[in-house]
Amino acid sequence: MSIKNLDLTIDEISMLQLGDSFFPTGMYTTSSGLEALFYNKRIKSKEQISEFISVCLKYQLGPADCIALSNSHKAAQSSDLKTIIEIDDLLFSMKLVKEIREASTRSGTQLLNCVLSFINETPTSENIYNTDSNSSKSVISSYFGAIKSKDAHGVYPIALGLASNALNITKERACMLLLYGFTVSIVGAALRLGMFPHFEGQQIIHSLKPVILEVIKTNIERAYSKMWQFSPGIDILQISHERMDSKMFIT
Amino acid sequence: MNHKRIPRIGIGGPVGSGKTMLIEQFVPLLSQKGYKTAIISNDVVSKIDADRMRKNLASERGLLPESLVIGLATGGCPHTAVREDPSMNISVVEEIEAKHNTDLDLIIIESGGDNITTTFSPALADYFIYIIDVSSGDKYPRKRGLGIENCDLLVINKIDIAPYIGADLKVMENDAKVVRKNKPYVFVNCKTGQGIQEVAEHIIKDVLFEEPPKTVINKTA
Repeated sequence: MSIKNLDLTIDEISMLQLGDSFFPTGMYTTSSGLEALFYNKRIKSKEQISEFISVCLKYQLGPADCIALSNSHKAAQSSDLKTIIEIDDLLFSMKLVKEIREASTRSGTQLLNCVLSFINETPTSENIYNTDSNSSKSVISSYFGAIKSKDAHGVYPIALGLASNALNITKERACMLLLYGFTVSIVGAALRLGMFPHFEGQQIIHSLKPVILEVIKTNIERAYSKMWQFSPGIDILQISHERMDSKMFIT
Repeated sequence: MNHKRIPRIGIGGPVGSGKTMLIEQFVPLLSQKGYKTAIISNDVVSKIDADRMRKNLASERGLLPESLVIGLATGGCPHTAVREDPSMNISVVEEIEAKHNTDLDLIIIESGGDNITTTFSPALADYFIYIIDVSSGDKYPRKRGLGIENCDLLVINKIDIAPYIGADLKVMENDAKVVRKNKPYVFVNCKTGQGIQEVAEHIIKDVLFEEPPKTVINKTA
């Protein structure tokens, strides 16, 4: 292929940047309860880890985080900060475990802070409901300001939705970033817990690609009023992680 | 960001070098002068250090509120948590700043025990103390590493055991001078408090710029 025919854009490189585990969101400090499963000896094989991630994707991230992301991305396109804050509040209230809520808002806030530093936007906490401007960059600044003034929580999927919108990444690809990033963070946690060697980690990620795609297809066009999450076993497990005395991961 | 940045010290060093005990020694000296501190302790696999400092400094001596000694897990990546991706630490720091920017003088961030390449992101810490100890041998400073070379203050702990392990403190001192190009270093014994006053003076001079404590400023304002 000659250089002239290259059909690549800056937006695609931006997607790689946000999806890179090197991007500073602190996700490497989370295991979403895997650590508790590991120390309770309730999960041992690579298949069980794959099943754990699959359940999280289908019953937690898909019907809650994924829908929240796609709707906030859409709202950002019309600088509709009120709707963004409503979705942010709804998603925050659906995260039942304190550790998970805190990790999500911390990652979300730092993601926004970092993206704002390179799209040349100055965060502001003033006039957060003044959304006259149609600029996608303005709505991301206003959302960040709302977090700082405690008018919004800053949960990670909403932050990712707005950052993706500001960088011209489609909502479909943004959902892919969300679910793929989650999958990689759990596999990374499993590797650091010594549960399997590195090739097995990549095999798990590969095997979950169809699940990621299916979860996106199922949820991406749903209205945020249809958000839900139901995985009581994992909720209880994640709560038990909060009480562990010795742990490597925040969640 | 609406709140003013509170000065932050990062403390790094290998496992067992005395990071926690150094904090336990200099916080009371700063407290005596009226400076109020908060501590974030990055533990690799436990909350032992944070729990100990909360008990020793907050619960028993009341030098700071228990809520201002915070333990943070690092996903098994202690250096990443203070350098390549300090997001979680910065989040906690900003949460503290938002609540205490009128009364808190200093935030101390203790890294999890790590190797000699540890440094702190300037976005996280304004001043970096690296601590090593004599038990690892008197060639330690000569081996260099980013922590030893680049820190603002090198602290060499456990000087009392030098005679028992055949370590020559003069060798360590000469090498520290060469490797650090005359940047400061302090010999301490964290068990007895020897040398800690000098560490506290460095912090007051180089981090707090000899400003009076905020509570004093607020009273006179």
